[in-house]
Amino acid sequence: MSTINFANREINFKIVYYGPGLSGKTTNLRWVYQTVPEERKGEMVSLATEDERTLFFDFLPIDLGEVKGFKTRFHLYTVPGQVFYNASRKLILRGVDGIVFVADSASNRLRANAESMRNLRENLAEYGLSLEDIPMVLQVNKRDLPDALPVDMIQAVIDPEGKFPIFEAVATEGKGVFEPLKDVSRRVLSKLAEHT
Amino acid sequence: MIEPTVALYGDAFNRAAAVLEELIEQAQVRYVLLVDRKGFVLAHREALWAPRPPALDSIATLVAGNAAATQALANLLGEPNFNELVKQGEKQGLYVEEVNDLTLLVMIFDTDTPIGRVKLFGKKAADELDEITRGAVVMPRELGIDKDFHESADAMLDDLFGN
Ligand SMILES: Nc1nc2c(ncn2[C@@H]2O[C@H](COP(=O)(O)OP(=O)(O)O)[C@@H](O)[C@H]2O)c(=O)[nH]1
Ligand SMILES: [Mg+2]
Repeated sequence: MSTINFANREINFKIVYYGPGLSGKTTNLRWVYQTVPEERKGEMVSLATEDERTLFFDFLPIDLGEVKGFKTRFHLYTVPGQVFYNASRKLILRGVDGIVFVADSASNRLRANAESMRNLRENLAEYGLSLEDIPMVLQVNKRDLPDALPVDMIQAVIDPEGKFPIFEAVATEGKGVFEPLKDVSRRVLSKLAEHT
Repeated sequence: MIEPTVALYGDAFNRAAAVLEELIEQAQVRYVLLVDRKGFVLAHREALWAPRPPALDSIATLVAGNAAATQALANLLGEPNFNELVKQGEKQGLYVEEVNDLTLLVMIFDTDTPIGRVKLFGKKAADELDEITRGAVVMPRELGIDKDFHESADAMLDDLFGN
């Protein structure tokens, strides 16, 4: 990714991993970083506190390559999940093209999942956007937990109408990490294509 | 992409690159970058004498994030904006000039270069870049993404992220 040829046309996408604190957003990005070949990724930047909690964002640039004469790049971001970091969370949503909502399967995080989704709606509304405007997929993470709640119970609080694609994941093992990323990327692209 | 974006290529790109080239010479700085507010690099130049720059994507993202945070702070205090942003270290400094509401100009300089010079030429370049980038604003649907593009992108996504 070190050489960038700007003389060509480019298309850049911003994909944001959203969700409650500790649901596994940073873990998703780390897995992508570890797995994508060297020449397709840039450096991962993490603005975190001493105890590894995301303070402002994590950032990972991914290079899809040249598609029909367009150099195509994805910027992946995570937001800080803790409630009191809302000011930074809102900033990261600026210019968002697609969202992966990472929910936590732990039984004591059901409410946190619901609150984070509500917070997402509110923050988008401040940019004059709604969830209908932006492609979003859901990732229900930590399926390996012994006390993992059933998926439909989690879905019932974050997406009661079942409008969004849903993926189960164990991000620490890389399970279900690429599927939602690929799916949301596709949706972002097809949203663009449908306008032409 | 729902919002208008700066699509800088072809003639507009060449004009912007020429402005950056001249800026490097006149201001005697190491690196200059034109970045959009989303944190993407639109164009960049480096002085021939300068060492290889650090990751440009990281610089762009952090500068855009920083500018957004500064703007939010200004709003909290009831100010429309805080313009101008300088960070000075022992050996290098970083100066950010707001070009317009879509783009930022980043200059990285040695601390023995007078900051007045950096700002003077930075502001001049920003004026020119303002005009160029405004002329390059397109709505996403005007980018020319069609079904063909979508299909090849799909195949490449499979390659990169697995089937
Ligand atoms: N058991 C289990 N733990 C996970 C999983 N994904 C992430 N974690 C752990 O959850 C904690 C928080 O993860 P992190 O990615 O920092 O969460 P973030 O706040 O959403 O960025 C870390 O200790 C991770 O190792 C998972 O799939 N299963
Ligand atoms: Mg995190």
